[in-house]
Amino acid sequence: MKNRKQVSESARLPDHSGYFGEFGGRFVSETLMEALYELEESFKKAWSDRSFQKEYQNVLTEFVGRPSPLTFAEGLTRHAGGARIYLKREDLNHTGAHKINNAVGQALLAKRMGKMRLIAETGAGQHGVATATVAAKYGFDCEIFMGSEDARRQSLNVFRMNLLGAKVIEVDGGTKTLKDAISEALRDWAQSVLTTHCVMGTAFGPHPFPLMVRSFQSIIGREARQQIMKKEGRLPDALVACVGGGSNSLGLFHHFIGDESVRMYGIEAGGRSLSPGDHAARFQGGRVGVLQGSKTFVLQNPDGQILRTHSVSAGLDYSAVGPELAYYFETGRVHFDMVGDEEALQAFDTLSRLEGIIPALESSHAIAYGIRLAREMGQGKTLIINLSGRGDKDVLEVARLRGGVLS
Amino acid sequence: MTPQTRKNQITSAKKVIPYLMAGDPDLDVTKALLLEASKAGVWAVELGIPFSDPTADGPVIQKAAIRALSDRTSLSSVLSFLGTIPCSERPPVFIMTYFNLFLSLTIEEFVREAKRVGGIAGAVIPDLSFEDSKEVRKAFKASGLALVPFISPTTSLPRIKKILATADGFIYFVSLLGTTGKALTLSSTMEERVRDLCLRTKLPVCVGFGIQTPEMAQKILEFSDGVIVGSRLVQEENDPVKWGSLLRQFCEVARASAPSRHQ
Repeated sequence: MKNRKQVSESARLPDHSGYFGEFGGRFVSETLMEALYELEESFKKAWSDRSFQKEYQNVLTEFVGRPSPLTFAEGLTRHAGGARIYLKREDLNHTGAHKINNAVGQALLAKRMGKMRLIAETGAGQHGVATATVAAKYGFDCEIFMGSEDARRQSLNVFRMNLLGAKVIEVDGGTKTLKDAISEALRDWAQSVLTTHCVMGTAFGPHPFPLMVRSFQSIIGREARQQIMKKEGRLPDALVACVGGGSNSLGLFHHFIGDESVRMYGIEAGGRSLSPGDHAARFQGGRVGVLQGSKTFVLQNPDGQILRTHSVSAGLDYSAVGPELAYYFETGRVHFDMVGDEEALQAFDTLSRLEGIIPALESSHAIAYGIRLAREMGQGKTLIINLSGRGDKDVLEVARLRGGVLS
Repeated sequence: MTPQTRKNQITSAKKVIPYLMAGDPDLDVTKALLLEASKAGVWAVELGIPFSDPTADGPVIQKAAIRALSDRTSLSSVLSFLGTIPCSERPPVFIMTYFNLFLSLTIEEFVREAKRVGGIAGAVIPDLSFEDSKEVRKAFKASGLALVPFISPTTSLPRIKKILATADGFIYFVSLLGTTGKALTLSSTMEERVRDLCLRTKLPVCVGFGIQTPEMAQKILEFSDGVIVGSRLVQEENDPVKWGSLLRQFCEVARASAPSRHQ
């Protein structure tokens, strides 16, 4: 009973100060504080407003193409030789990943708030493309901050953002990846806060972003729950999702948090090795700290300087993790594990060949772990893997890694 | 000498607070800069500790942080370093850095070290919001350290009142929207806000961000209690003599200004 109470309570988090247990908060400069309050109030009002919900749902249906299917992965199930594997097909969304769910929600909110300009950070470029897309649709000015290393790895997405009319600003500071793009977006926002909405792409950053992003992504799990009930007549035994900041995993998990029988697995990027700087496994090598607005698990050296990270996938290549996931790590509600570059690349091939689906490298981490887990769980069980995005954006980088050059 | 006693001695004079990046390019230079600051007669210095991800800082201080980090400067190494300079030879210090570095020590350890080293008046932590700072404020207050609050152009009046109610040290008034080192243009709105703030608190109200010249400092000192000069001085950090002479120009302007009214 006590457990059930804890679980249902955690579905109500964050608290009014933006904390999930000891994680979260609003660790930003004073200049941004009033904007965060304004945003929180606008979000809460909109989220409980029927006309906002109706508009949001309508855009998800007519523009994004939701609901996304829950596909039974016959080939993958046979390959793993255990539990029945379903794929939640966020790869089929307009713009190719789950990121658009949140970008649509935040754009509608920014419109309500009377903001003229959207800025966003992006790692793999999917959130940047999603933001550029909604900016084009609703007539916002749009600037996207992207680490120059990520811009190199994801040049196709840079081109897409430009096509959509957004300006991509390559960030050369620090590690030239997502972390530095977020810092630059926060710096811009401190200057432009009166006219600009900062579209945070993951369930990270200062309150209310973790709450807001999770809410806009929770459509994934809400659909998946109905779909699995229809197909299997019961809840799944496990959920698997890759974990960068936490948006696709929390999106899938949220509506199952209260279901004790459903085990949840969050998969971090194991990179090349577990040496500092070689991975992005925050729960393996990190400790509690504060980065970019949030108190959470952070990869850092003993002095508190943030460590470099490495992953073959730009979207998982980040030194900190969303505060809600940090809370589920502490409480044990979500089990965290990791998959390295090599295994993820194998899963990229496996899914392509067995299912005819080229997954994003981020999602390939979840696929790889899902294969292991299905085998372990054995027959008679079911599991859902969140296929958070499609791999079109990654084919150039995979070709480059394999020594073939496409142009 | 504690910062409190010094504050009382020159209680009504206009204040200059230089910001300098510890360890840029190494701590020997930092020592030379501290001595220069002491000679120039500053009220206090803001001693920056480099952080890998300084979200409130513009390009000048970001670059200084990278230089200082390449010398492996850390919060604990700077505290030990300060301990090697007698308190009488350095101005009171406000440690200025991002919250994660304090967490790498724990707040209790920081407080203990600061007391042991002496001459540390408090800290300025740009990413520690008023909401999230309750415990830190409590721990600081218990040992006579000040957690300096920020007031920015976007801070509303109800919020200003809340912040002032627990404020300590001085009030850091952020002159502009944006990051450190951005060019500041003076406006009547800012002047009104600072004047209003001065009426609401007994603490010195010091203005920072984007103060590039002694002339600009002079204008700001007409309606504030002090100026914080950061990026402009940081640009000269590799040359302590040049840094010192520029700092003295700011201090002369402050000495020539009429004393603060509310003290």
